[in-house]
Amino acid sequence: MNAPFYKFALFGDEASFILAFVIGIGFGFFLERAGFGNARKLAAQFYLRDLSVLKVMFTAIVTAMTGLYLLSRMGFVDLSLVYLVPTFLVPQIVGGLLLGFGFVIGGYCPGTSCVSAVTGRIDGMVYITGMIAGLVGFAEVYPRLQGFVNMTPMGQITLARLFNLPYGLLVFATVLMAVGAFMAGEWAEKKFGGKEPDPKGSLIGRPWRLTSVRVLALGLIAAGFVASVAGDPYRGSHATIDTKSLELRVARGADSIQPADLASWIIQGRNDFTLVDLRPEKDFAAYHIPTAQNLPLASLTPDFAAHNQKIVLCSDDGIQAAKAWFLLEAQGFRSVYSLNGGMRAWQDTVLFPRKSSGADTAASEKQAQVAKYFGGAQQAEGATASTVAAPVLPVVTMPAAPAVTNTISSKPQARKKKEGC
Amino acid sequence: MNSVEHSAKPYWNPYLSGFGLGLVLLASFVIMGRGLGASGAFTTAVATAVHQVAPTHAENNAFYAEYLGDGSRSPLKDWLVFEVLGVFVGGFLSGVLANRLKLTVEKGPRIGKPWRLIFAFIGGALMGIGAKIALGCTSGQALTGGSLLNVGSWAFMMCVFGGAYALAYFFRKQWI
Repeated sequence: MNAPFYKFALFGDEASFILAFVIGIGFGFFLERAGFGNARKLAAQFYLRDLSVLKVMFTAIVTAMTGLYLLSRMGFVDLSLVYLVPTFLVPQIVGGLLLGFGFVIGGYCPGTSCVSAVTGRIDGMVYITGMIAGLVGFAEVYPRLQGFVNMTPMGQITLARLFNLPYGLLVFATVLMAVGAFMAGEWAEKKFGGKEPDPKGSLIGRPWRLTSVRVLALGLIAAGFVASVAGDPYRGSHATIDTKSLELRVARGADSIQPADLASWIIQGRNDFTLVDLRPEKDFAAYHIPTAQNLPLASLTPDFAAHNQKIVLCSDDGIQAAKAWFLLEAQGFRSVYSLNGGMRAWQDTVLFPRKSSGADTAASEKQAQVAKYFGGAQQAEGATASTVAAPVLPVVTMPAAPAVTNTISSKPQARKKKEGC
Repeated sequence: MNSVEHSAKPYWNPYLSGFGLGLVLLASFVIMGRGLGASGAFTTAVATAVHQVAPTHAENNAFYAEYLGDGSRSPLKDWLVFEVLGVFVGGFLSGVLANRLKLTVEKGPRIGKPWRLIFAFIGGALMGIGAKIALGCTSGQALTGGSLLNVGSWAFMMCVFGGAYALAYFFRKQWI
């Protein structure tokens, strides 16, 4: 089966809105059931009297996390297609602190305030009004904050990749940590809130009977343990290659991109593709195409990018890129292209193109502008077919990489909000 | 409204509510390939409203422009907007079924209603700003990113709890 269903185009946008509504109903229902429409119950978390926030939140996190791990490991879900909000560490720390302040002052977070307002809580309604005012105010100062909110970009990255630990092991550690926190929380509720643990609904306390809550905890621990030994949840460790479809793509020329097309993408500031430069670090430092990332072949693991991300590969003569192209195709990436002719073709056709006498002036003019944009220059007329065929490459020192600043409108790490919260 | 408050049912066990919430989140991952959210829908609504009142102002503002899309369809035709409409409906249904609908202000005994509402407004404003700086709120970052082991989400979540505990003492009269 191919999930996430939406990413495999099993249904369109209109249907996704209906599903959004249904999923939202579930979300709102469980928030209200937990008592999260009540600011006093929420805020009691911060006085250690009622740790429902911790319990609900971490039970939900651990449930979804282990469930997603198992479904991915079984091959049901392609984990790389589940959207990960990119990390901007410093803004997220500052924003988190502000949210924490807002939580204890206002008593809600955005999701719970909806549930509170709709069940008649006036403080919830006022809270939403305040949130709207905050958003309007933020929009007005946003232009001056752009530098700050784009600070310390780390890309779409999981803790597993950051610490280079097995994903499943972290899943298990999170489950154990959550269950430990629940037990400590129940102890705190008893100490600070004077609340005797309800024998049916808590983890600690006697009698030691197997209640539904304890069964749930044991089930999650068991699932976490399975995760810790079951391996990587990302698809691709067992590659399957559809040779026919590869053949077709190669035959149609849909496996590569011409240097001139890549140049125009970059000039247009398109940021819907990732440009990967496979050459050694030294060569990359000497010159690289703007927006390119330097990644060795070995780092192209199945989780290095989302599988539906458009990826353009370049290497010196295209051989490394062709290897990488095959590897990524086998790993299930769906739109991988190699730069036709590699960096040599880039050099010959974009950076230092030869002016041909037959070409019309407009095209020649454009060619010269493009070359200038990337720090090269159009070469004078006179290069005949025979000199091109000769294996003597023009002796040109590669120009320094042009700074990707004002002229190119794409930021290397665009903050993509639409899919986030 | 008064007759129902006597029979308000107790809240569900937090672990079981959390389990239900986790299954909803998992369903969202499997069906849509994305998690839950809340603050984003309000931003879209604000951007649309400002665009109605002052079109040029909204279009020239980089923040609003991002939520307005390319103009080919209404910005309100957005996944999160429909999801949050669902949150309202789901919360209402649960409230009705448990006899919890009540026009009231939730507060501790040591604070008056006006102050409680002023604080609710300030807290809401801080959340609106914080959620935009952090690219998400407790739903989109903590809950969703937390279960995806997202680096930024975990840093964010620790800071939400840290920030709230740091100020808890000063706002104790509001709650306990």
